[in-house]
Amino acid sequence: MALFPIVGRLVGDFIPHLVAVDTDDTMDTVARKVAVHSVGRRVAAPPGVPSYDVYLGDRRLDPSVKLGELSLLPLQWLDVRIRD
Amino acid sequence: MLLTQDDWYETSRDLDWTFSYVDRAAAFPTEWTGAEGIPEDAWEAWEEPFRVSYRDYVRVQREKESGVKAVSNALQRAGSYDQLPASHVAASQMHMGLITMVEYMAVTMQSRFCRFAPSPKWRNLGVFGLLDETRHTQLSLRFSHALLKHDTRFDWAQKAYHTNQWAVVAAKNLFDDIMLNADCVEACLASNLTLEHGFSNIQFVALASDAMAAGDVNWSNLLSSIQTDEARHAQQGFPTLEVVMAHDPGRAQRIVDVAFWRASRIFQTLTGPAMDYYTPLDKRKMSYKEFMLEWIVDQHERVLEDYGLKRPWYWDDFLYSLDNGQHAMQLGLWFYRPTLFWNTSAGVSRDERAWLNDKYPQWEENWGVLWDEVIRNINAGHIDRTLPETLPALCSVTQLPLGTAMSRDRLAPVSLVRDGRVHHFDSEISKWCFEQEPERYAGHRTVVDRFIGGEIQPMDLPGALAWMGLTPDVMGDDTDGYRWAREYATESKATESKA
Repeated sequence: MALFPIVGRLVGDFIPHLVAVDTDDTMDTVARKVAVHSVGRRVAAPPGVPSYDVYLGDRRLDPSVKLGELSLLPLQWLDVRIRD
Repeated sequence: MLLTQDDWYETSRDLDWTFSYVDRAAAFPTEWTGAEGIPEDAWEAWEEPFRVSYRDYVRVQREKESGVKAVSNALQRAGSYDQLPASHVAASQMHMGLITMVEYMAVTMQSRFCRFAPSPKWRNLGVFGLLDETRHTQLSLRFSHALLKHDTRFDWAQKAYHTNQWAVVAAKNLFDDIMLNADCVEACLASNLTLEHGFSNIQFVALASDAMAAGDVNWSNLLSSIQTDEARHAQQGFPTLEVVMAHDPGRAQRIVDVAFWRASRIFQTLTGPAMDYYTPLDKRKMSYKEFMLEWIVDQHERVLEDYGLKRPWYWDDFLYSLDNGQHAMQLGLWFYRPTLFWNTSAGVSRDERAWLNDKYPQWEENWGVLWDEVIRNINAGHIDRTLPETLPALCSVTQLPLGTAMSRDRLAPVSLVRDGRVHHFDSEISKWCFEQEPERYAGHRTVVDRFIGGEIQPMDLPGALAWMGLTPDVMGDDTDGYRWAREYATESKATESKA
């Protein structure tokens, strides 16, 4: 496990953030770490417990895949969408 | 019989050396002149309209200086500062912190013109330019020093460029690059022509007008006095453009296109929020977009077309940015207020919001909805949710936050990988700037690069604030103490009662 910086954007917010994640984090965890900087701050939280999808470009990533399995460069941009 | 100015002026301003024991190329290296590929005699056509002698220059400047100081001294005695709106004071603190040392950097740039410009007429005019910029630095420091007794934030007029505060790092990156790192031709086209002739009007004319309306006669007077100099020495840009257009028009177009975008982004950060959010509503004369359209689109660009330059290829995106970029910067500045050395006005009360929607019909859809969540948090007592917990991602060219050039609907990754490093850009335009000279920009390090490089310890937001030099006495907060948000709470309760 290792600390790993990504650029995370919660789709709907106006800026992406520098987010510190871990190579052992699953996409579910990555999504929460990105969303915390936007949801309930500038983007209204959806009703109930929100769930998210993570996208690398147009590709939706499996929620259980770990970041370290993706061979990303530091500061890779990942999009997080609130799941309908 | 004494000679008249007409008798000696042409000779004195065109006085040049005939080299006997050194090559001209060694005395005027093209790395410094920027005149590579331009025949030496082409510079004989370099003409400027201000036929100023040193004697005349000193007399006029002395009068200007006396006028500014007389007003300033009288107003200090009258204690007028205490009457100024807090949001307006914030704009003046932002200006002094971010601009004063740029004036000093311009002294160095003009000094380079005095020594290395490829035309003796230009070198001669550069002397007046460096004296102008020295005056601007001194005026701004004097103004700020006199206000230190009211607020230590004015200390940042001198201090800012010795810190790592992020807006300063971004501004320093631009001005280092186009003033200190550029040869004479590029510095002149980027700084005199683009920045001073094009954009300084926004800062020094528009803000002077807003300052006067807000009752800040002292600052308004200072800005106007500086602008009279800027209008003169900015004229170095046109004869330089004329010569370069005749021999290397592609280079002229590229330099101006890059400088125009980079300048527009820094002024969108500096002046956009000041005009659209900080100036008291009843004192606003024009929106930032209206001013840009009148001064940049209708005037500056038309003049450039007369010289044969085309509009930048990204013109449509630039216009789109005028509808959005300053609003993105404003929301970012307010949310990241602890990272500022000035207080920040939200500027989104009901009445202000109506003004914004009138001036920018897409404002509510693009920006209002984000402010609504901020307002809900303020009124629910969750101020912690209106504050940042990490840094925004930054552009490798402008060093400004990604997402602050266009609207959130257009936000998408614009990136490239070079030597194993991911570079992100705030727009396709900034990426294009990078691609013109990748070796020039690739080594520039944003605050984020420095953060993940381990320069900032501890690696958290408090560590970053300390690294930026922000202390509790200057750290930014809401100018109004969040009182502006109460009317939304009252209206919500009224709606609930009716229901």
